[in-house]
Amino acid sequence: MTEEITPTKTLDVCGEICPYPDMNTMTTLKKMQKGEILEVLLDYPLSVERIPRNLKKQGHKLLKDEGLGGPNHRFLIEAHGLK
Amino acid sequence: MELVITGLFVGILFGFVLQRGRFCMNSAFRDIVLFQDYALIKTVAVALLVSFAGFAIMDLAGVITLAPKPLWWGANLLGSFVFGIGMVIAGGCASGVTYRVGEGMVGAMTAVLGLTIGAYVTAIGFLSGFKTSLQESTKIMASDGSSLTLANVLGIDYAVLALGIFVVVVVVWFIVAWKKYEGDNEWGWLTTGFLIGMVAIIAWPFSAAAGRNYPLGITAGWIAIAKKLLNLTNPEVQLDWIAWLIIGTVVGAFIAALIARELKLRVPPAKRLLITFGGGLLMGFGAVLSGGCNITHILSGVPQLSLGSFLAGISIILGAWLMSYFMFVLPMKKAGSEE
Repeated sequence: MTEEITPTKTLDVCGEICPYPDMNTMTTLKKMQKGEILEVLLDYPLSVERIPRNLKKQGHKLLKDEGLGGPNHRFLIEAHGLK
Repeated sequence: MELVITGLFVGILFGFVLQRGRFCMNSAFRDIVLFQDYALIKTVAVALLVSFAGFAIMDLAGVITLAPKPLWWGANLLGSFVFGIGMVIAGGCASGVTYRVGEGMVGAMTAVLGLTIGAYVTAIGFLSGFKTSLQESTKIMASDGSSLTLANVLGIDYAVLALGIFVVVVVVWFIVAWKKYEGDNEWGWLTTGFLIGMVAIIAWPFSAAAGRNYPLGITAGWIAIAKKLLNLTNPEVQLDWIAWLIIGTVVGAFIAALIARELKLRVPPAKRLLITFGGGLLMGFGAVLSGGCNITHILSGVPQLSLGSFLAGISIILGAWLMSYFMFVLPMKKAGSEE
């Protein structure tokens, strides 16, 4: 049985150009408390590949990494809350 | 007719690999300072190394005639610095914004529009006088009238030097990087870089056969397309090989995106469209002023050891880093510290 995680906040960066999907994700995460969940919706392939790498470096936890058909993608990220 | 076919063919290959490999020098340079991410710069490095070896071998075999760009230090410095700034604002380098048109990114289309206009007015329009005078007044040629290259400055045969650099860099890289392996894009940096380098290699003989003795380029293609659009009914104005390369690049990226189901019309907020257009204008201006964009100088000129291209390449990187700092690094730092 899988529980559907409810995100604290949703960030929709579809249509945005490089590097705004990554930037907006990182800056939003920085402002979130520890344990809060950010849902990111994006459609830029390079960011889809790059964001997970950067999350790992930054210490945020990638909970879900799913394709939504075509280039559309969704990340569920748990913020580490460190300032 | 042949030039249409070979231009399209090489272009489609180029666009396909660019799209699959997410190859973009803007991201490659910017991501170093913004995310400390090195996937794309490694791709660029591999593409360059393959070109070093490939061009050297073609030179030895007499398949091509070297055609390094001249050193116009003032124009290279200023033009490429502005180009670097422009590409960060536009969100992509010249090849990057070109291939993304094929993916359906409207932000790239506005950038290309700016690139074309900026390039056109500098090449043929009201800024061409400034461009020519800056180039001519800061031109330094070798004593035999040829372009200054590392080879003629050091007095070493080009092929020997290029192959030597290739071997040294590969060996050093291998030794240094063997232990660490960092994350990667879907089409690995090694694969993508290798394929880009191969496209660069085959492009040169085809282009030379069509009358343009140089490997890959981008900006000149858009200028030629603009010229044709402004002279539609004039049969004397025709699309040249590089124009067909550009058309092929967009088509190749389109095909790649289609196959990977990544084709989507993507529209950013209106202000982004304006900003990318402005970035494109700077790119076009800077590229023509310097005698080339990132592809012409870094991918095609550096492997020929052209000093002008070296200077241009460094200037592009510096301009990009400066702009990245103010546009992205600082705001990200501030976002972290404000409560």
